[in-house]
Amino acid sequence: MILPMRRRLFVLALALAAACPGLCPATQKSFDDITHDAEAARTADRLADAIRLYRQGVDLRPSWQDGWWWLGSLYYEQDRFPESQAALTRFLTLAPKPGPAYAFLALSEYETKNYAGAFEHLQKWAHAGSPGTEELIDVASFHWALLLTRESRFVQALYLLTAKAQRRGGSAALTEAMGLASLRMARLPEDYPPEWRERVWLAGKAAFYASLVPHQFDRAQDYENKLLQHYDQAPDVHYFRGTLFGFQKKREQAKNEYRQEMRISPHHAPAMMELARLDLDDGQLDEALALAKRADGLEPKNPSAHHILGQALFAGGHLQEGARELETARQMAPDSASIHFHLMTVYQKLGRTKDAEHEKAVFETLSGKREVLLPPEELQDLLRNQQPGQER
Amino acid sequence: MTRAATLSIALVALGPWSSVAPCGQLAATTAAAPAASPKKAIFEISASRAPTQSGSAAAAGPTFDELSRTADRARQANRDDEAIRLYEDALKLKPDWDEGLWNLSSLLYEKERYAEARDRLRVFVADQPKAGMGWALLGLSEFQTRDYARALDHLRQAMTFGVSGSQGMARSVFYYAAVLLTRFELYDQSQSLLFEMARSGQAESFLVESLGLAALRMPLLPAEIPPDRREMIQLAGRAALALNSQHQDDAEKLFRQMSSSYPNEPGVHFLLGAFLMNVRPEEGVREMQQELEISPFNVPAKVRLAEEYVKEGKLDLALSLAEEAVKLEPKDASTHMAHGEALIGRGDSTGGIGELEKARDLAPENVMIRWALVRAYSAAGRTEDARQEKAAIEKLAQPQSQP
Repeated sequence: MILPMRRRLFVLALALAAACPGLCPATQKSFDDITHDAEAARTADRLADAIRLYRQGVDLRPSWQDGWWWLGSLYYEQDRFPESQAALTRFLTLAPKPGPAYAFLALSEYETKNYAGAFEHLQKWAHAGSPGTEELIDVASFHWALLLTRESRFVQALYLLTAKAQRRGGSAALTEAMGLASLRMARLPEDYPPEWRERVWLAGKAAFYASLVPHQFDRAQDYENKLLQHYDQAPDVHYFRGTLFGFQKKREQAKNEYRQEMRISPHHAPAMMELARLDLDDGQLDEALALAKRADGLEPKNPSAHHILGQALFAGGHLQEGARELETARQMAPDSASIHFHLMTVYQKLGRTKDAEHEKAVFETLSGKREVLLPPEELQDLLRNQQPGQER
Repeated sequence: MTRAATLSIALVALGPWSSVAPCGQLAATTAAAPAASPKKAIFEISASRAPTQSGSAAAAGPTFDELSRTADRARQANRDDEAIRLYEDALKLKPDWDEGLWNLSSLLYEKERYAEARDRLRVFVADQPKAGMGWALLGLSEFQTRDYARALDHLRQAMTFGVSGSQGMARSVFYYAAVLLTRFELYDQSQSLLFEMARSGQAESFLVESLGLAALRMPLLPAEIPPDRREMIQLAGRAALALNSQHQDDAEKLFRQMSSSYPNEPGVHFLLGAFLMNVRPEEGVREMQQELEISPFNVPAKVRLAEEYVKEGKLDLALSLAEEAVKLEPKDASTHMAHGEALIGRGDSTGGIGELEKARDLAPENVMIRWALVRAYSAAGRTEDARQEKAAIEKLAQPQSQP
């Protein structure tokens, strides 16, 4: 997804106002002339001249913060991402509060395929409170979702994409991103095999309509059916259908889909976990425990697997073992409100009142953060710096 | 389409630099600091760079003039790798050297080094924003690196500024723009471009699959066609081309063959139905109804059926379908047009005109909507409004750029 050029200039201008209050004082006349001419060229849309002048300015005075900012911004404006990346990197070394520059740097890094850098700077941008205009927040969170998908963090990716769908409506880019995340394809839109395209599109459409408020499940179902028509045996298709049935509280259909997925993909831990969760809700404790144990064995580093196993153990009366599994889950995903909630319940049952109260406080804090932009697990750093129950 | 075909189409168009883009003025400052280029400074984030250091570095190696001349000679002698290296060296001394950027980009594209070509072309078009050929090659490079949104944007820029002097490049630009429009679900715009290409003499075999995809409203590139439906898409494309060249019998035969071979595929009955609406409407209606059984949210099918029901005076049915269509796609002009026509048919002139105005505002270049408004305004005695719409229609009838 691209921010239109005119829009980008506007966004950049607003972002600068937030990021760089006040220019560095000029000390040389020639430098003064350059800054004046650079600004005049920029405001007159003479971008080539502006770039040349800002380059002169930063050559004369490498500590010229605003010069690096505008240079980075102008290069970004022209899709010259290697150059914008370099200039914005320099800006970040000089700016005490880089604010939106983190996001612009991350977007430049994304375009130069420096995905680790992009991820890191998007995290810093989010931890700084996601500063910037709505357009910037949209574009940055969208790219973050793409990177989360690439990292197989599909739930977090869909969290961001759903928010965007509800805020902005549909687009071809959003459909594609939702399709990849929904089918658990750890790829970027520019980096998946052509033969996946139809599947990705159909799943993306279904996910999009299901994510709207009010939900358009009937329309989502239409795309699901078309997906099934040709990709009945493809991995993750039935898992995705199960998830959509789950949203609609169609529990039996969801269970059938998860079972079908496990027939196609016998080691599909997410399907096992979802099925275990449904079995648990239905009081089918033995089935739930068996599935949860299998999922946990397949994905021992997955906090969800420990979470559901802890719940299953607790439900079966194995309180200590259940607590241990939930503590493992908490350690892996301290941001998960529901893990804290279930731990609170177990601690209460075990008579560990103080621990239960702590978990309750953390749960309440996390539950109040539903509207923040951060994917759930990114909240962990914030929580480390505050007491339970304290407002951010 | 194969990569070789892609290249042959795009590159056949690449003539000498001087014939395709004007040479811009070089920045005086870059010429004054030849060795340590501004770009190099930025990439290395060097803290300081004294002009005197640049001067002494320049004296150590070949000059820009020497490098550029040698690069040109290497290119003319088809020593591409050597030419690329020399252009790169020359551009380190003069990063904004437009002719060098262009020649280097073209060579990189030819060598299928698309990402490098793209990065050079972005510098080139920044300095030459009206160079249609620059936008064209940039868009094609971005297509190859699968940056499809930017590719479409830049191919449209190329269409705006023109790629005069190269019919081959123009065809490439139109073709890739068309296939991308389909991928972005802008099927009608895609079909218009492809039909325009067919009318201007483009070999039809080249257009079949892209047109079939657009007609069936499948947002895929030809390279993304599922093998089990390639034949269906080809049938749709051939039928659409037959229809475009007024071969009605051939078109019907192909549409029917597609329909009988792929009776459960979305879009198939819609295409046959849309064709039949114009020749045997009662059969067309049946096909559209069948389409809606397969794809109950197919908005074009609802709109087309509503239009037919208006013609037949089945206004309740028309209104119901049009209302559903508007609800499903409130930003689609065609739904408001169908709704407007149905309301007018029912005698609700005010409501109908309101819907037609919404349609016009959503698609101001759609002449059919404006004609519908002319009729509605005239019937309502709003002669001045009708006159203004007619004037707008005449204004729209300006010559467009041709593929």
